[in-house]
Amino acid sequence: MNYEKTKVWGILLRLYHWSLVLSIITLVTTGFYINAPWTNTTLEGSVSFPMASMRYWHFLAGYLFTAAILVRIFLFFFGNRQERIWDFLPVTPRNIKSLFTTLRYYSYVSDEHDERPGHNTMAGISYILTIVVAVFQLIAGFYLLYPESATWQGIGNTIFGSQQDGRFIHHLLMWYFIFFAFAHVYIVIWNELKSPEGLISSMVNGKKFKHKNV
Amino acid sequence: MKDQAANIAFSSGLSRRGFLKSCTLAAAALGLSEAMIPKLVAAAETAQRPTVIWLHFQECTGCTETLLRGSHPDIGRLILDIISLDYHETVMVPSGHQAEKSLHDSVAKNEGKFVLVVEGAIPTADNGIYCKIAGRTAMDILADVGPKAAAIIAMGTCASFGGIQAASPNPTGAKGVQDLISGVPIINLSGCPPNPVTFLGTVLHYLTFKRLPNTDQMGRPLFAYGRRIHDHCERRAHFDEGRFAEEFGDFGHRNGYCLYKVGCKGPETFSNCPAARFNDVDVWPVSVGHGCVGCTEPNFWDSMTPFYERLPQVSIPGTGIVTDADSAGKKILGVAAAGAAIHAAVGIGKSVIKKGTDKA
Repeated sequence: MNYEKTKVWGILLRLYHWSLVLSIITLVTTGFYINAPWTNTTLEGSVSFPMASMRYWHFLAGYLFTAAILVRIFLFFFGNRQERIWDFLPVTPRNIKSLFTTLRYYSYVSDEHDERPGHNTMAGISYILTIVVAVFQLIAGFYLLYPESATWQGIGNTIFGSQQDGRFIHHLLMWYFIFFAFAHVYIVIWNELKSPEGLISSMVNGKKFKHKNV
Repeated sequence: MKDQAANIAFSSGLSRRGFLKSCTLAAAALGLSEAMIPKLVAAAETAQRPTVIWLHFQECTGCTETLLRGSHPDIGRLILDIISLDYHETVMVPSGHQAEKSLHDSVAKNEGKFVLVVEGAIPTADNGIYCKIAGRTAMDILADVGPKAAAIIAMGTCASFGGIQAASPNPTGAKGVQDLISGVPIINLSGCPPNPVTFLGTVLHYLTFKRLPNTDQMGRPLFAYGRRIHDHCERRAHFDEGRFAEEFGDFGHRNGYCLYKVGCKGPETFSNCPAARFNDVDVWPVSVGHGCVGCTEPNFWDSMTPFYERLPQVSIPGTGIVTDADSAGKKILGVAAAGAAIHAAVGIGKSVIKKGTDKA
């Protein structure tokens, strides 16, 4: 079989991806701490601010997360061919076909692999869903971070109702990201084992290996 | 003597000192500079007393009690003296038909000029039959009196957002005033009960500036509900430095550490409790060792319970399972991991079989 290297992901998309990874790991870890601090102390007058520090890192990672999401939304419309939303939105016949091919391939029904440079439609849908959830997550985050701001109060109260409801939804959506991270890593490794197209390294060097005749 | 607050107040035994102290308290609660105190005093002394009609619906009278039974009698007396209270079921002398007559007469005489205070939620289910006074439903009375008021003060969480009556499943369809009346300025003094200083401040603001104070997005005055309890809490340093009470009565609790881990809702509750405090002996729930329960927030019976946990419970539809978010999350993640393991096993099994058939 002849493979050739094809350039798939631009530098901005790869930066987005790893910023998101870094920020999600930081946010989930510090978020769990902020919700239920697992340390406790009776030390007083020491130079130690565990809760204040955890919140600081949480907010910092929150800004990184926001920046990453904004970059991805920008690339949905202004990225290269693979990065644009039309490449995997299930509205064209090509993409709808890809959805069913991928479903059959993932459930071991068929060995037909939808070998395309960018996302298959199934992956694409889950990424779009993730971005939508992320937008709600970061709105909830800023609503909690700036509770006294009239702007965030207006937005947050309309969407979530109250601070406590916002906090609850922020916590539940965190679990979405945990599930997503788990499923994403599993499926990427599974794909890497099934077809040697360099899926994992493509997120580092931006290149995939594809059959020459495709 | 003219019908002015100070005359009434002094003739009823309030000392000049007590009067000035109460005005100063209200100025501090409103966040006004000391230069404004004489203006508040002048307004309280000379302004024509506004007619106030006080309606009780689905409530416990706790909001009235908080005014009447303050250990600092001057505040309650001043409140009752700077307003002309024409109708208030708890404190008025008339009863029966006479009471109804005074409500009717006062509304007719002061139409468009009186201030309406509403205490308690208004049930709307089944045409509002769950709360009736003198044969009329609360809905009827509010729809009749509300639009004729110059301004409405919703006193307490029930009148503001429905309160405990509106807790799920809300059998009586209880609602707050703002959901039923439009076209009249409404201010929500939420809380269970709100601080009497907040009420005094709102009334004095209305007397001095001829309008209701600025509010947040939920219609609560910013001078009292502009900041979260957490940000003015005396235990905040313990929070930042990671010292927590793990349970009531433990070392941390006895040493006044942060109540975050025993479910304090201070971080999500807007109120002036830590600054204004209660009963004039400088206490409030957190200062005496109990976490905030978030009584000033909408739907607080639904979203703030369990009171001793940080977050509401998750109920999984169709199963009757009610659990906390994290144990639900862990269980669902476990199911996902099991699913992935089965998926992987099928893949490995298939490739083993394929290798076998290829060889054969």
